[in-house]
Amino acid sequence: MNTIKSPEESRKILNTICSDLTRSITRKDELTRFWFFILIMFAGVGLWGWIIQIDKGLGVTGMRDYVSWGMYIANFVFFVAVSLIGFLISSALHLLKISWSKPISRVAEQIAIAAVALAGIIIVMDMGRPDRFLNVFLHGRFASPIIWDVTVVTTYLTISVLLFYIPLIPDLALLRDRMEGKIPNWKLQLYKILSLGWKGNQKQYKLVYHAMRVLMILIIPVGLSIHTVTSWLFAATLRAGWDTTIMGPYFVAGAFVAGAAAVVIVMYVYRLRYGLKNYFEDLHFDYMGKLLVFVSLVYLYFNINEFLVPGYKMKTAEGIHLSNLFTGTYASMFWLVQVAGLILPILLMLVRYFRKPLPLTIISVFVLISSWFKRYLIVIPTLEHPFLPVQNVPDYFKHYSPTSIEVMITLFSFFAALLIISVLSKFFPVISIWEYAEEKGVDKKYFSEQPKK
Amino acid sequence: MKTKILLTFIVVLLFWRFPAASQEWLVPGNQLNVENPLPYNLENVQKGKDLYQQNCKSCHGDPGKNNHLPLAPPPPDIVSEQMQANTDGGLFYKITSGRGGMPQFETTISEDDRWRIINFIRNYNADYEQLLIDAPPVNAKLLASVNEADKKVEVLAEYEDKAGNFLQLENTPVFISAKKAFGNQLLGQALTDENGRAVYSIPETLIGDEQGLVSIVVTLGENYLAEQVVLEKAKVGKIKDVPKLIRKEVLWSTNENVQLWLLLSYIGAAGAAWIAIGYVVFQLIKIKKSGKE
Amino acid sequence: MERNTRRNFIRKLGASVGAAGLVGSGSILSSCNRVETTAGDKIKLLTSSGELVEVDKSQLSPAEMPNLTENQKRGREGMPGRSWVMVIDLSKCRNARQCMQACQNHHQLRPEQHHINVLQMQDAEHTAPYYMPKPCQHCDNPPCTKVCPVNATFKREDGIVLIDNERCIGCRFCIAACPYSARVFNWFEPRDAEKYKGVTYNIEANVPQKKGTISKCLFSADRLRDGKLPSCVSACPNGVYWFGDRNEDAVTNGTTKETVSFSQLIKDNAAYTLMEELGTKPRVYYLPPKDRAFPFEGELIEHHS
Repeated sequence: MNTIKSPEESRKILNTICSDLTRSITRKDELTRFWFFILIMFAGVGLWGWIIQIDKGLGVTGMRDYVSWGMYIANFVFFVAVSLIGFLISSALHLLKISWSKPISRVAEQIAIAAVALAGIIIVMDMGRPDRFLNVFLHGRFASPIIWDVTVVTTYLTISVLLFYIPLIPDLALLRDRMEGKIPNWKLQLYKILSLGWKGNQKQYKLVYHAMRVLMILIIPVGLSIHTVTSWLFAATLRAGWDTTIMGPYFVAGAFVAGAAAVVIVMYVYRLRYGLKNYFEDLHFDYMGKLLVFVSLVYLYFNINEFLVPGYKMKTAEGIHLSNLFTGTYASMFWLVQVAGLILPILLMLVRYFRKPLPLTIISVFVLISSWFKRYLIVIPTLEHPFLPVQNVPDYFKHYSPTSIEVMITLFSFFAALLIISVLSKFFPVISIWEYAEEKGVDKKYFSEQPKK
Repeated sequence: MKTKILLTFIVVLLFWRFPAASQEWLVPGNQLNVENPLPYNLENVQKGKDLYQQNCKSCHGDPGKNNHLPLAPPPPDIVSEQMQANTDGGLFYKITSGRGGMPQFETTISEDDRWRIINFIRNYNADYEQLLIDAPPVNAKLLASVNEADKKVEVLAEYEDKAGNFLQLENTPVFISAKKAFGNQLLGQALTDENGRAVYSIPETLIGDEQGLVSIVVTLGENYLAEQVVLEKAKVGKIKDVPKLIRKEVLWSTNENVQLWLLLSYIGAAGAAWIAIGYVVFQLIKIKKSGKE
Repeated sequence: MERNTRRNFIRKLGASVGAAGLVGSGSILSSCNRVETTAGDKIKLLTSSGELVEVDKSQLSPAEMPNLTENQKRGREGMPGRSWVMVIDLSKCRNARQCMQACQNHHQLRPEQHHINVLQMQDAEHTAPYYMPKPCQHCDNPPCTKVCPVNATFKREDGIVLIDNERCIGCRFCIAACPYSARVFNWFEPRDAEKYKGVTYNIEANVPQKKGTISKCLFSADRLRDGKLPSCVSACPNGVYWFGDRNEDAVTNGTTKETVSFSQLIKDNAAYTLMEELGTKPRVYYLPPKDRAFPFEGELIEHHS
């Protein structure tokens, strides 16, 4: 923490921080409108796809009786994976008293909320009878991993929203006090309601710190569960390629890779778009790069375990599955994912140059795309090779390829997730103003002062 | 009886509609004139009959009764012109190799036995001396009762002579079966004595229902026209063991049978998380309250 | 006593004619469930052989038409005291596929949907190929019911694993969990959806099928209740199938109608169960394809473990 500043200096710093970090809220230009237009349009097209799917049945997808889980489930696993970063950055690093990650935690929470919300929506879109969704609560079986998953996804979503909201309260009060005239009145009213009559007294800060601490501890088991339970959806079956005990930690490690890459990308976009060069500094990218290398190495270690051990033995069903991945139909996708999404990024990011903002962001894009395809490779090839031969069915039952409806709905999920992130960034500062200012040596008492007009 | 006629009628109709289904079954020329190496005598014909009953009857039916299975192409009755027109070599080839619905018997019936079956088939050929004479079925009556105490079935068999009088049926096997879910399971047979009576001891291993009750069915051999006797359920079997399949605490059953540790872990974990969330929400209320002070 | 047995016998004969399903108006109704009340006095009924018939309403007594809730209730309880098992004699199968056809008719399945599927198998590179009819194995440790989130698929006390497609949410976790690929999904509107419109759902036949829900072999539980053998068992022309109650140690052949001791049959023929190493405890027993009655004429495309 910087040394305590004089009142004059403090007010000046606070004003600068405020105007920088509210730029995302006040700015209105063509590009913003266009961006939202694109997002809403594509999300709408995807929803239309879902309506077609409800009307005609899940047969409009490429899934059939053997490959009965397809791109939706892969996409679901992907979003669950991405959401896990919220837990790592805003909780684990905080509790370890690592201070560089503070400005990033709100970005991580935005991503976590968007991803976990979409994960929940996608799973409904994958259902044959979404109209019977309530059966899950009416007739839920405690022994089913799906019930565990539903429980843990809703819990994680709630905690993520709270963990996003609670540190936001003092900021909301700041916005309420300072933004009059700069933003429409209804938005001001919204801040007023959401700031819960924040006065900034000692007691309130104490309550905020306390609540945050409870949440940060709570999110650790819940965060680990969400991805472990998701991995059990696969590991609880007898299928070759899924029937492994490593699934839980393997998924968690992979989730950190995907999530860290997503955070880097969003950080870079904010830095560029909202002129936050001094906030998302090169230093942050450097640290994020190091973090990404670290989690990638852990993930690589699990990958070696996951493929080398069964590959060494080549049991009948496992053998068919693995040769399909290594040299068969999915070989090109598999090796691309492993090389471009894991091995090359690790090697590159070990070099300082590639941890600079732009190179790191480009690497992260590759990592993120690869981790989507990685989920695809986890879900589909296993189902294409059941224990008994696939016979007496049309040829298109034997190999899965996604249809345009599936692509539409998957695109919907991407755009809807981006929409949630964009809306959050349009409503709330992307970095916690009060925490950041405090870090810069501004005392809390200045936060509740009305700026002179 | 009526139903049987009806069934036959339907079957016949069915075959008339699809005459094309029975395509010519060609036998290779070198096989056609292979001669039956076994002599045509009573012993071989009798053995052939037994083999026929075991392996062929289920599809081809009883000789001359046209009660074969309704398949396409139909398995011909062995008395029929179609069957008898085959040479011995032809029959042997067809039995050996099979075609379509007709199984091969190359691996399941020995070569000699296959020739014996052919001997039996020839028993119904006009050019052959009929060695095995099936007497026309005789009308008969069966009366039976079950003795619960001794676990015995007592049978009285009578047949009708030409004058229409019912006389004791001597030295004839009666067949005892037990009624099961979908059919009668043959338990064994007993020979009638000079008074036409037979006693059959029910084996100890017979399983009845939950009270040990069994319905015994008594029938006569195929040479007699007698209605089978279905006895009322009697306590002559072992009590049926009904092991409970769905136990308490199995993972694959309903919530009522869920494992306790699982339920407690689930409720404990989810409950703890939501209590903590509730606690945090409570802090928010406190924040709001503190703002008013 | 003697008189009594004779009268009894005649009564039994009447009953057995009914059970054989020979079209008499009385017998057909006992195995029907209600469809819908039409404007007149006629009513649409679904027989347990899967046929839709129209009969006069006055012929029905209320006890014969369980409503949906009762049907679901008794469908979940199963038949008391029974423990159904199937024995499949691989040496008899010649890939006639009568079982598949009868099954698809009974359960309103599209041609590509199989409750029972005759597979062309070869266990290892140089071993003999054979045909293997594969219904649901009705496991005693069923991986499918284990994972169902809403208890839509469940195991009954008589051993049958059933589906309630009024409850199924279509998550398809059970398909993923089943190592025997025994389950199918209604990806589109089911076959003849129009024809079955308004028919009361019979949980024991899983008919009418519903879009977006799971289906699979049910051992024709509706037919069992009427004392009939499952559709596939009755339809087989080659004596492949034996079916019965393990508790009373008897199985009946669907073709020859011969009834034998179950334990003797599986002992004498060295029966095995499919992939017993997975611990699923199947209820379908296979007799090895030794001394096959029909030569293997199929082609082997690919095979897995």
